[in-house]
Amino acid sequence: MTSPSQAAAAGAGGSSPLDPLNITPDGGGDSGKLVGRSPGQLMWRRFKRDRTGVISAFIVLFFLLVAVAAPLISKLYGKDPTTTYGLDRPGLLNEFGYPIRPNGGISGDFWFGIEPTLGRDVFTQLVYGIRTSLLIAAIATLLCVATGVLIGVTAGYIGGRTDYFLGRFIDLLLAFPSQLSFVAFTPVVYSLFVSPEKETPTYLRVMTLILVLWLLGWMGMARLLRGQVLSLREREFVEAAKVTGASPWRIITKELLPNLWTPILVQTTLMLPTMVTVEAGLSFLGVGIVEPTPDWGRMFKAGADYYESDLTYIFFPGIAMIIFVVAFNLLGDSVRDAFDPKTNR
Amino acid sequence: MTSSHQNRARLAAVALAAGALVLTACSGGGGGGGDGKESGPATDKNKSSNFTIGTEADSKGPAPAVPGAKKGGAVTVLQRDAFNHLDPGQIYYSDMLTAQMLYNRSLTAYKVEPSGKAKVVGDLATGPGTASDGGKTWTFKLKDGLKFQDGSPITSKDVRWGIERLYADFETDGPMYIPQWLSGDGTSFRKALPDGPYKGDHLPASVLDTPDDKTVILHFRKPHADTPFATAMPNIGAVKAAKDTQRKYDNAPFSSGPYQVADFKVGKSLTLVKNPNWDPATDPIRHQYADRFDVSFGHQLQDQTRRILAQQGADKNAMSFSNAVDPGMTQNVLNDAGTKARRFVEIQPYVDYISFNMTRLKDVKVRKALAYAMPNGQILQQNGGTTAGTIATNYLSPAMDGYQATDPYGKKAHPAGDTEKAQALLKEAGKIGQEIVYAYRNTDVEQKVAVVVTQALQKAGFTVQKKEVDANTWRTAISQVDNKFDIYRTSWGADWPVPSTVVPPLFDGRQIADGSQNYGHLDNPKVNSEIDRINAITDIKQAAPQWMKLADKILTEDVPGIPTFYNRQFSLWGSGLGGIKYQPVYGTVDPTSVYVK
Repeated sequence: MTSPSQAAAAGAGGSSPLDPLNITPDGGGDSGKLVGRSPGQLMWRRFKRDRTGVISAFIVLFFLLVAVAAPLISKLYGKDPTTTYGLDRPGLLNEFGYPIRPNGGISGDFWFGIEPTLGRDVFTQLVYGIRTSLLIAAIATLLCVATGVLIGVTAGYIGGRTDYFLGRFIDLLLAFPSQLSFVAFTPVVYSLFVSPEKETPTYLRVMTLILVLWLLGWMGMARLLRGQVLSLREREFVEAAKVTGASPWRIITKELLPNLWTPILVQTTLMLPTMVTVEAGLSFLGVGIVEPTPDWGRMFKAGADYYESDLTYIFFPGIAMIIFVVAFNLLGDSVRDAFDPKTNR
Repeated sequence: MTSSHQNRARLAAVALAAGALVLTACSGGGGGGGDGKESGPATDKNKSSNFTIGTEADSKGPAPAVPGAKKGGAVTVLQRDAFNHLDPGQIYYSDMLTAQMLYNRSLTAYKVEPSGKAKVVGDLATGPGTASDGGKTWTFKLKDGLKFQDGSPITSKDVRWGIERLYADFETDGPMYIPQWLSGDGTSFRKALPDGPYKGDHLPASVLDTPDDKTVILHFRKPHADTPFATAMPNIGAVKAAKDTQRKYDNAPFSSGPYQVADFKVGKSLTLVKNPNWDPATDPIRHQYADRFDVSFGHQLQDQTRRILAQQGADKNAMSFSNAVDPGMTQNVLNDAGTKARRFVEIQPYVDYISFNMTRLKDVKVRKALAYAMPNGQILQQNGGTTAGTIATNYLSPAMDGYQATDPYGKKAHPAGDTEKAQALLKEAGKIGQEIVYAYRNTDVEQKVAVVVTQALQKAGFTVQKKEVDANTWRTAISQVDNKFDIYRTSWGADWPVPSTVVPPLFDGRQIADGSQNYGHLDNPKVNSEIDRINAITDIKQAAPQWMKLADKILTEDVPGIPTFYNRQFSLWGSGLGGIKYQPVYGTVDPTSVYVK
């Protein structure tokens, strides 16, 4: 598979009957059968054949696109997520604050209906809510993965006392109830950075959320990778690399990490939807993002309150969340299958 | 007249009520197209003229029979919060206030007529009491034939015991008007009788006199014209000394009313059965139609509403003293034609305000601009809409004696706030862009209220800094005098429908202290002296309109806050029950004439 050794072997055996022109690294122009492919390319080919995976990937991509292009969508659609249409225009909400039109007030003007009591547009609320939640979840996931990989691999590879102390540190963090810690932690952060007479800026809320999700979210990944590395480092190819004098950095990046991509990717694709739901849960508890910043999680909470009288409202955030989580998990499965075709389901 | 201690207690009750609202009023109404006309509350029940002090003739039993009433059957009562007190001396929350009406009698009580009119009449006493010595001395004569649940007669000694035990240190949660009027403000009254009556000491006859078995004489330190209302609080009743188990009395009170406690499981249930020794001829208020009241706790509003709506089995005879219809199901209930005869929406004595912190907002024009800009209608809508309340236009609740429907800031005409007037005032003051720190309790309803308030204030030209405060520390945070907030939501419920229980605690500048209810920090010597002047008027009928005038003067000239809405109670009960009416003083369902059809 790897061309250098083949080339070396070919070079060594000068008596080979093969024409030397045929073993140029690119395989020449005349024959496609013997093209060398990297594991990445192989994975990509396998992935493309997996229809579920491709569809899921498109759905996930679509969500990401919606999140990124939220202002554009809102502009084309002609509404924004903060205007209280129902309060400003008579005839949209009844005296209990619920949409007068059936199905949650769905109309040509309001595609997904209007929000009960405040009368905002559900469509733009959802689009912007996805944006907020995905942004927070994506950044937190990336940070968690990076930290988890770094600490997990270090602990597993170096072992010994380092492993022991990192392990206990992970235990310590795992013992923290993350949501309670968040409830206790945020007021401290806010009072540290915000004057008591000023509003807490949204960016600070977002950063605090990310920080806490990160600080208390990376341990699972680290634990998993440590175990993987523990078994990998005893394998022959790692031994061989050590014997040939490769630096630890090279061993980690070139020998271990390529074998860890599968758990990392699978964990990541599972972690992102979890982060979205955790973020939603924090908003549900009232310590996440507050009004008027649109938020996916808070839409659930509102939906749970409204469903007796306005069932339609919860459908849009709910279905969107289900589709997103299922698609992301399926994508994760497909990615794993593509990397590791031997594990048949 | 009222110290901050008791007000805080009552305020806690309001907080609970408001909390219930907050917890449950996350939505309200719903579906497609509401026809609110037929669901509109019968506001006439809360006209000031409906609260009167009755006569001796009104105080005579028995209570007029309810047409169609039958004897027998068991009433199921679904309550959300467990009763934490049964001892009448400790009761201050509206749900327990309602429950005690069934097993406890006080010197006076409210007689609610089918029309909704409420009269203070003699309950244990033959009348609402007679004043002498310029309103400082009040004499109550007890009725003949009053008995405890064991058949022993109720005498003036038992009433004295009932009052004196309030001086004991464990009696902390109830209203303390009478002991304070007798022996001193705040908690200083306890010094007059540190252990209550338990060590054999009694109050001197110059304070609380019982010259014979039928007479109770109260000698107050100052004149108190509204004594008949204060004696209608449940703790001014009879407690039999031999049955007084002090702290344990909380779980097993000795009944003087038509029902007695058969079984009380703390946190779970309460069963009330008929008291055979109660004589209907002595009682102008209560009936004894049902055999039993089965009260159970822990029913969330949604669950409770669904059960009563579905009426399966025993739920046909189900009611709730204080639980409201779940705001999310309002529309379902209103759209169900079958519920028409078994529901009501009534105004409660609780008022919501947005207080302006005058320590920080010194310019009256800015405060006036805030008052004009406040979107009362939109705030109410976030709290549940028409069935949760009605737009407030001035400080006094319509349930108050002397209430007049004045509307100095045009709240009825501008439910979304009068932006132009506010803007003009702000411009006049030269403070366009004035920064306002708006503190709110961090709950979802309050977050939404914050959205509409911010929007309205920004339109008027303010810059708003929203500060969310944790729900658990909220009350302490805003009652600090040196808080760093400009405006915040507050609420108040009066103990009886006389404005003297509203204006002095909310607007007397001498009350300002951490934890007091003068949230706007109004300290105007003119207002203070006016409060003293009106407090000294012995005829409450005469005082009422003057309180109203003073409240409006404060609202238009000092503006320490703006009222936003008057709370409403939306109740639903099973079709198997009859004789249900509204108790306008407690803001709950009156159980005294309930029967099973």
